[in-house]
Amino acid sequence: MSVPDQTSGSWRRILGTLVLAVLLEQLPWAGWALALRPDFVLVGVLFWTLHQPARIGFGTAFFLGLLADFQDGAVFGQHAIAYVIGVYLLLFLRLRLLQFDPLRQAAQLFPILLTVQLTVLLVGWLAVNPPTGLAMLLPVLSSTVLWYLIALLVRLLHGKGLQDRA
Amino acid sequence: MATQGQLMFARGLGPTARLLIWLLVGVSCVVLDVRYHALEGLRSGFSVLLQPVRQVMRAPSDVATELGHFFTRHRLLQKERDALLVKRAQWLVSANAAHELARENSELRALLQLQTRPGQKLVHAALLYQGHDWFAQRITLDQGASAGLRSGLPVVDAAGLVGQVSRVYPGSSEVTLISNAEQLTPVFVERTGQRGLAAGSGHGRLELRYMPSQTDIRPGDRLLTSGIDRVYPAGIPVARVSRVSRSQSSPYLRVECLPLSGLDRSRAVLVLIAEPQGATR
Repeated sequence: MSVPDQTSGSWRRILGTLVLAVLLEQLPWAGWALALRPDFVLVGVLFWTLHQPARIGFGTAFFLGLLADFQDGAVFGQHAIAYVIGVYLLLFLRLRLLQFDPLRQAAQLFPILLTVQLTVLLVGWLAVNPPTGLAMLLPVLSSTVLWYLIALLVRLLHGKGLQDRA
Repeated sequence: MATQGQLMFARGLGPTARLLIWLLVGVSCVVLDVRYHALEGLRSGFSVLLQPVRQVMRAPSDVATELGHFFTRHRLLQKERDALLVKRAQWLVSANAAHELARENSELRALLQLQTRPGQKLVHAALLYQGHDWFAQRITLDQGASAGLRSGLPVVDAAGLVGQVSRVYPGSSEVTLISNAEQLTPVFVERTGQRGLAAGSGHGRLELRYMPSQTDIRPGDRLLTSGIDRVYPAGIPVARVSRVSRSQSSPYLRVECLPLSGLDRSRAVLVLIAEPQGATR
């Protein structure tokens, strides 16, 4: 967050948003809404890795990845590996990302989200069988849009605070 | 404690090392799950955790549907009721005929000393959750081991076969749809009686495999379960043939079919449980 507070309130906020993300994915999505559903949990994890890397990182990403695997009835490890790679890429670009405005941030997030999804595809391909169609790349777009909206919201709430930290 | 911006130096391991460690853990997870099926306990744990959450999260859309039904116009309901009454009358007639046939059938079977077909129990279940179906076309139902479900049972809706129970948790279960690429369904063509094997081809479709190119089959033919696998009872509608094409390179026909049941649309389904005597058939 904008204020580099290391107080307990921040933990509550982190857990709150991540739980909210998991809850959102439990809604009975179906049809087009399901195909386009952004990966709320991934966006949440990456967001907190960007702003609180000391607290949220590989471990959280791995655990939530296992949860995502359960949800999709996929092989355990498929999303977990992909999320961990996403976190790594984000840490790699972290200092850069912090300086960008929401739109450019989202544009930079796009390749990261794409890599994550392609990793899911690759691991699934190697471990199980060929997937059915490339509709699985749709959530990359919606997740990017979601990131833009979140970054914009945070920017509106906290002014230019994010740039001070960079 | 690491100060801001100095993470890389203040901690024991750099991000790359940590990435490698977690990748190792991830790959071992995949191997454990695919090769040894060792992580079913973790799956059950997640299901127990998420089951109540999903029940709750389903509530808003349930309430919306309820409200929608509440405001359905009176006339519409009357019309529906009239149509249903007509249908019921028709079905009563055919049900009587079916009773008669069943009686006759059992007598004939007794005469021929054939074993009787197993009785069947139905469990109502509702769609609880549907995940992305990129790899595995699966849905989650809100009934599980506590309702007597077990792995391998057939799941049907009003229109036809939906799939097969593939994983059972205490209060929920996972159903593999017949359109799953790894799911095979033994069927026969209703018009000709020709037996075959319907395999899922993803995208909510099926294909009828290994049909020699001179087979009499055309678009519009219905496929029913043949019952020779002793998993599905015979005669459940599965799919309708949508396209038949010949290829030069293969001795077999390419038969595409569309499932009759609403695979991802139906919200209420039935699980067929064969009674114990069925096991000794």
